[in-house]
Amino acid sequence: MTLADGLISFAGWWLTLGAGVAAAFLLIGIDGIDEDADGAYAFRPLLIPGILLIWPLVLWRWLRIKTGAGHWLHRYQPPRAVHFPVAILFAAALAFAVLAGLAVRQEWPSDIQPERLSEAGQ
Amino acid sequence: MSVKYIPVQWNRFKWGYDAALLVGVGLFLWIFVDLAPGILSHDRPISPQIHNARAFGACAFLMMTIVLCMGPLARLDRRFLPLLYNRRHFGVMTAVVALSHAYFVLNWYFAASPTDKFVAAIGSNTSFGQISGFPFEALGIFALISLLVLAATSHDFWMKFLTPPVWKSLHYLIYPAYAAVVGHIMLGTLQDQSHQGFTIVVAASAALVGGLHIAAGLRERRSLPSTAGWQALCPPDQIEDGRARIAMLPDGNRVAVFRHGDKLSAIANACAHQNGPLGEGRILDCLVTCPWHGFQYDVTNGQSPAPFTEKIPTYRIKIEDGMVFVDPDANPPGTFVEPLVAPLSEVSS
Repeated sequence: MTLADGLISFAGWWLTLGAGVAAAFLLIGIDGIDEDADGAYAFRPLLIPGILLIWPLVLWRWLRIKTGAGHWLHRYQPPRAVHFPVAILFAAALAFAVLAGLAVRQEWPSDIQPERLSEAGQ
Repeated sequence: MSVKYIPVQWNRFKWGYDAALLVGVGLFLWIFVDLAPGILSHDRPISPQIHNARAFGACAFLMMTIVLCMGPLARLDRRFLPLLYNRRHFGVMTAVVALSHAYFVLNWYFAASPTDKFVAAIGSNTSFGQISGFPFEALGIFALISLLVLAATSHDFWMKFLTPPVWKSLHYLIYPAYAAVVGHIMLGTLQDQSHQGFTIVVAASAALVGGLHIAAGLRERRSLPSTAGWQALCPPDQIEDGRARIAMLPDGNRVAVFRHGDKLSAIANACAHQNGPLGEGRILDCLVTCPWHGFQYDVTNGQSPAPFTEKIPTYRIKIEDGMVFVDPDANPPGTFVEPLVAPLSEVSS
């Protein structure tokens, strides 16, 4: 099995497990952890793609909420202080991507006419 | 206070926004696919599938560029704020367009492969140790997965469930995703020197997005005068009655200083519900209303009116030398702070 085969197989297992988590969370779990979801069903199918993709995070948060772990104040403190450093890194990454692409562009010979090596249809 | 989730929160503004978005995407694809197919510099005859892949890819890149400009533009100039209010729909549409690009690529370049087309897409080039010939497909796959994660976690439920710190950290993925897309294009299709015009467009887009983010960050971090740690905001008469001025504190949090008649009060800018921007709300009946979901708070104590129990931090403020100063140390949520009297007639004279 090549690495590519392994990655595709891993992706298949990831999505399969995610489907199981989605079924359990949307049918059983969500009502007990979010009052805004109690009795609201139409929006739940929209959550399926997200659960398929990040189901370990869903399980972690589900457990944290059920066990009451974490200080409630922390949920109102998004990581805004890192926004400016992230912006600088972001701009540097963009500059690198553009310059790297320009640096390795190859000058194709424009004065050489293509030569047919075999007759058409062969 | 409880606001039941619904699939999509539409209103008249969002209907118009989404309609304009759909028309824009349709127009772009119509121009590039049907009206002026030569605009993408096709030197050699190409199949309709390749043509579609390039059109959808170019559209997705343009949409990512626009959506990434919205945040810093709104921080630099409040007139761009309306663009932000429905940005999630823009992001979801971008993910759909990018997925369409991947669909056309997979079902053309890898459809005839004897191996599975997904395996072929990942394994056909593994020269990760060099820039020239780098597997630009991998950059595109990373960006596509990132866009799908962002789109799939854009519903209101996700921010409340994951908490704003986790949700925001997850959505920082948009930055490496856009850098990967620029790399995907620069190391992919733009290795062909005949695409000079498109090369300039891509480089200018990257410069615009990067430059706007740094400019907005510098604007927010500009050194305002401070006394004994208190952060200066603005002269009191620059705060419109019933509205707020928002300032970023040294710890990265934002504070909203409201004027209610001749009194000033300061509360955290983030709503306790889903971190909506309270400072963009208006005071009605002594309460500020969050523009996102209508949660209300008394600006003097940061508490929702009974029987609701939501609380947000408050801040102490003072006026010195004609400027409003904010104590950057937040009071515990729900703490009453006596409003500061600053009559408009006096401070304006």
